Amino acid sequence: MDKSLFRYIWRFSKREQLAIFAVVIASLPFYFWSLDLPKRIVNDAIQGGAFAEGAAEARFFIIAFDLPAFMGGGAVELFEGFRVDQLGLLFGLSMLFLALVLINGAFKYVINVAKGALGERMLRRLRFDLFSTTLRFTPSTLRTVKSSETATIIKDEVEPIGGFIGDAFVQPLFLGTQAATAMAFILIQNVWLGLLAAAVVGVQFVVIPRMRRVQLRLGKERQIASRKLAGRIAEIVDCMEAVHVHDATAWEKAEIGERLHHLFDLRFRIYKWKFMVKFINNLLAQITPFLFYAIGGYLALKGQLDIGQLVAVIGAYRDLPPPLKELIDWDQQRLDVQIKYDQIIQQFLPDKLVPLDVLAAPETDDGPLAGPIVVDRLRISDPHGSVLVEDFSFELPFPVRLAIVGNGGPGPSTLARALARRHDEYAGRITIAGRDLGRIPESQLGRYLAYAGSEPALFPGSLRENLIYGLRNRPVRRIPDDGPQARRRRMEAERTGNPVDRLDDEWIDYERLGVKDADGLDGVLLAALGRIGMREDVYRFGLLGRVSSQRMPDLAGKVVEARRRLRTMLAEQGIENLVEPFDPARYNAQASIGENLLFGVAVGPAFTGRGRAVNPVVRKALSRGGLTDDLVVIGARITETMTEIFRDLPPGHPLFEQFSFIDADELPDYEDILRRIAAKGLKSLIGEDRSRLIALALDYIEPRHRLGLLDDRLRQAIVAARAIFRQELDGSVWARQLDLYDPERVCDAAPLRENLLFGRIAHGIADAQSRVMGVVSAVVDELGLREEVEKVGLGFQVGPGGRLLAPHQRAGVNLVRCLIKKPDILILDGALVAYGEEQARRIREGLLAMFEDRCLIAVLRDEAQAEGFDALIVFEGARAELRRCPAGGASRRDAGSAAAAGAVGGHG
Amino acid sequence: MTLDSEVQSLRQVPMFRDIDPARLKLLAFTGERVHFSAGQLFFRQGDAADAAYVILEGQAEVTLDTPSGPLKVAELARNDVVGEMGILSDTPRSATVTAATPVVALRIDKRVFLELLNQFPQMSIAVMRELAKRLERTNARLVRSNS
Repeated sequence: MDKSLFRYIWRFSKREQLAIFAVVIASLPFYFWSLDLPKRIVNDAIQGGAFAEGAAEARFFIIAFDLPAFMGGGAVELFEGFRVDQLGLLFGLSMLFLALVLINGAFKYVINVAKGALGERMLRRLRFDLFSTTLRFTPSTLRTVKSSETATIIKDEVEPIGGFIGDAFVQPLFLGTQAATAMAFILIQNVWLGLLAAAVVGVQFVVIPRMRRVQLRLGKERQIASRKLAGRIAEIVDCMEAVHVHDATAWEKAEIGERLHHLFDLRFRIYKWKFMVKFINNLLAQITPFLFYAIGGYLALKGQLDIGQLVAVIGAYRDLPPPLKELIDWDQQRLDVQIKYDQIIQQFLPDKLVPLDVLAAPETDDGPLAGPIVVDRLRISDPHGSVLVEDFSFELPFPVRLAIVGNGGPGPSTLARALARRHDEYAGRITIAGRDLGRIPESQLGRYLAYAGSEPALFPGSLRENLIYGLRNRPVRRIPDDGPQARRRRMEAERTGNPVDRLDDEWIDYERLGVKDADGLDGVLLAALGRIGMREDVYRFGLLGRVSSQRMPDLAGKVVEARRRLRTMLAEQGIENLVEPFDPARYNAQASIGENLLFGVAVGPAFTGRGRAVNPVVRKALSRGGLTDDLVVIGARITETMTEIFRDLPPGHPLFEQFSFIDADELPDYEDILRRIAAKGLKSLIGEDRSRLIALALDYIEPRHRLGLLDDRLRQAIVAARAIFRQELDGSVWARQLDLYDPERVCDAAPLRENLLFGRIAHGIADAQSRVMGVVSAVVDELGLREEVEKVGLGFQVGPGGRLLAPHQRAGVNLVRCLIKKPDILILDGALVAYGEEQARRIREGLLAMFEDRCLIAVLRDEAQAEGFDALIVFEGARAELRRCPAGGASRRDAGSAAAAGAVGGHG
Repeated sequence: MTLDSEVQSLRQVPMFRDIDPARLKLLAFTGERVHFSAGQLFFRQGDAADAAYVILEGQAEVTLDTPSGPLKVAELARNDVVGEMGILSDTPRSATVTAATPVVALRIDKRVFLELLNQFPQMSIAVMRELAKRLERTNARLVRSNS
């Protein structure tokens, strides 16, 4: 990126800028003509100049030009023009004037659009360049970079620059030439008037920006002064006690008074300047016509200037100030934007960036990193200069399984990070398979080396997407798309230095992974998850996931079968009372009143929360079923209890969120409703209040909330209303917002678990949940659905930063992401700390077996954990020592790989 | 049985005797009524303590695992509280509790209970008072057994 904004703009938009220049130049003759035309209208048409010698007709719109002398001279007339009378000439010329206005407008439009497109393209390029630079930040730079700042710079701060880019060259040219044309026109009409106008414009052009600059400087001073005032007031308020204890009020008053005076002074000066600028601007704008009228009129009377010229000059002069004003604005904007650009460039020009050739994808694959690791006189210090790793040299064969152990110091982790090139500021040399670590292209390193740290970086998205993050290095196959949209997209990308890769392309090299397609890859993912004990978790995610009957018809069909099988199996075990199934003809006691009424799962907002209570279809069903008043009464009873028991909890208290029917901030509203009921009775409630109460009632579940509000009559009435509701819903606009329960069909909107149960687990029976889920699990296994369920689980959304996963699950994702790349070298640096001791040991053992023929480097807590590793590095402070090392790689390798093949049966 | 009857039961529990009815209602509402069939486990010795139980109906047994097999140490009946020590001291269950007959109990979640103690000093004091009384009784018993 260039240090100067203008050079940057010019480098990447030369062609477009020149094209716009050409259009600007082409527009000038028309502009000039439009200035000239009023003169002809006044002189020839209105004053009758064209009919001076008593001619009855004049010719209009003659197209002719003079031949140059070398072609023999003379004139060629292409069109001899229309013959018109005076009125005709007036209208003809006026129409011409109108046409010119339109042409000028069209030019302006074209230029503006081109400028806009240019600005947007440059903005896109600038943003992308900044982002690319971010990707090149070295690990040490990244420590000092604030992510939110970088994001705002790329998003917000470059925006005004982008807006300016389109104007950067074109605006001064366009406005300048326009002003110059008008100026030239005036000069041609009359030199004196022209000089007069030029003098006034000159004054305006020189004086105003200077005055404005003073004004700006004062404005900045004011901003700083008022910021200081605010800070000072805050200080005084915070230290109020000291102020009173020491009787310093008079002092503080004087201090603030002083500041206010300074502020007043600044503000007053700003006002003076502001209005002075306005005054001078106005004066100059008004005084010139005065001079024109006076001097122009005098010249006209003297016969040195005709009336038409005078009118045209005044018209042309009217066109002068706007471009000038915009030019002055442009100049200010330029200063402003250049400052902003400099700031941004400083942010994005750290001392060291990763060299481009390391990041670029080379055409050739230099082969795996399956070779010895040689570290020569490695010395690493932290930014403050304290030594983390003291002069350390060692050599390891390949394959090797190395444990690095320390006494809690930063040494082991630093070494591991250096080996993974996550720490790039070191002295000495690291080579892997004979290649300098610092120069290995990222595409190679990313492919053959995996590093799992203690803080997994997860992206929002599905579990699957996070697991395969390391496989999507570059598109392996482009999906051809030659539609006009795609072509345009590609062209724009090429014009702005953006990549043409599309997210829709095929990014995963299935062949390399030994699978056929995405489904096969799922199998690989599940196997890898199983190896670190995460399959059960994925199964549970699967039960929370949704099954689409359209995308997964097989599974959907089997789910309905599983539903039936579950019922019989529960009955066989005598625990069918643990699940109350959804029966269209019965009230489900374990579900809320609302669920019983709707008997389906909401897809849109119309049937969730308050929406349910105000939905016309619901209300109609309630009133036809004669339930409205009952629900209002139930709502009032719930309100009474809730206001009683939650009144003393502060708003936002976790218990509120978890248990109360009523939001903390709505509690006062509900208390008001209760007061109204107490004063005037239930019947007096208005619609809004009734809706609120009904909303509460719809959430009520008798066995859970135990307020004793339901009886058999109500239950029957609700089941009856359910049928009415279905009739009303059918064909209404809300029909698509509710996925109705149907025993023979999968409910797309409900999680898989709900679909399997097709009912509710009974409240208040000890261990009901786990017992039922045990049976569900048995049914899933019996029907061979487990893997399908797990595949649904791979679609689980992990949330921002993986927040919806437990720490050990995040660590698992991190690990599996590394494993499925099948790296030659795997470096574990605290990747297992989220696991319990026992589980960490099991995973370690699994990895040791898996990496028998490869390289595994693990940072461990103590030597006791290092059992089974071939090599051991022990840190004492910053001093390290290679304690144990396999004699030679070769002899062990054969035995090792044979054993590995037997034990693990391949990996991935 | 409704919330109100549970509140009545809670009032019989010494630990909760002096607490405001509105608070007890909150405690009952945030609790969960659980049915155990005869022989079903409340929890096992060594489990993590996640909840306390107030017995509303039926009887339960407290047993200790000993090398010579389970040893019954206490019987619980209506209005007894069990498991509250574990959630207060954050230690694993010190004994196994099993339903002797079909039991209905109010399960009070550990997190919710601590949240309530945090919020309402009155409840904390009531719990402390009960614990102090128990300590006093234990001391007295120790003195008696030593003398």
